[in-house]
Amino acid sequence: MNTFFLYVDIFLGFLVLCCLYRVVMGPTTIDRMIAVSAIGTKTLILLILIGFIFGRVEMFVDICTVYALLNFLGTLAATKFFEERGKC
Amino acid sequence: MIYSILREDMLTKVYENLIVQTVCRIMIPFIQIYALYVIAHGHYSPGGGFQGGVILTASLALIFLAFGQGAVIRRINRRFAIILCALGVFIYAGIGLLCLLLGGNFLDYAQLAPILGVTIPRARSLGILGVEVGVGLAVMAAMYSIILDIAGSPATDNDQESIPVPKDRTAPVEPVA
Repeated sequence: MNTFFLYVDIFLGFLVLCCLYRVVMGPTTIDRMIAVSAIGTKTLILLILIGFIFGRVEMFVDICTVYALLNFLGTLAATKFFEERGKC
Repeated sequence: MIYSILREDMLTKVYENLIVQTVCRIMIPFIQIYALYVIAHGHYSPGGGFQGGVILTASLALIFLAFGQGAVIRRINRRFAIILCALGVFIYAGIGLLCLLLGGNFLDYAQLAPILGVTIPRARSLGILGVEVGVGLAVMAAMYSIILDIAGSPATDNDQESIPVPKDRTAPVEPVA
């Protein structure tokens, strides 16, 4: 089962690279923001799977909760910033 | 033209979004309880005073983002934040100096056992908890005042009032192409 989780982790890392392309080359700022948010969500699952591999899921779930919170907060702050500026 | 009028009205209005405000109103108590869990459970799991304080600040930043600066300053104003910061440092250094006065090293919690009336391992655990509460308070207040300084409007001497919209935001903006 650990091997399966390891391969899922590698695949998720590949998907993170795909999102990173959108972050770097994104035409508009909204594209970059959504891509960063997607990277955050993938990182969450990746961390939980690493927790399964290390056999300490309860520890990694704590980290993931904080990570999800900060991801949400960052997206909210960016959207508020661009709404106040009025353009992207 | 109508579009530009709408745009200007949107910009001069205080940021209000029903979805964001409702989500924040639901999430903030759980975030704060989670921060207290991280502070109090710091010596068994990842976390501790610094991380718990940052999560507490994150809940305050959510209030800031969703309800505006006036709402968050009405709860904790700048003066109270500075007092909380100093209080946190005082708790941390006070516990350390108390150990020093009782004949141990700085932050040598085993010396607290006669005062607390418990065994030495329990005194160490309680001492770490007290120090982490102090660190959490200090970090929360310091980061909160940093957020207010870098994101808030500068003229807030009367902290109880709701902050008026800054002048430059009321200036007409050209519509987005």
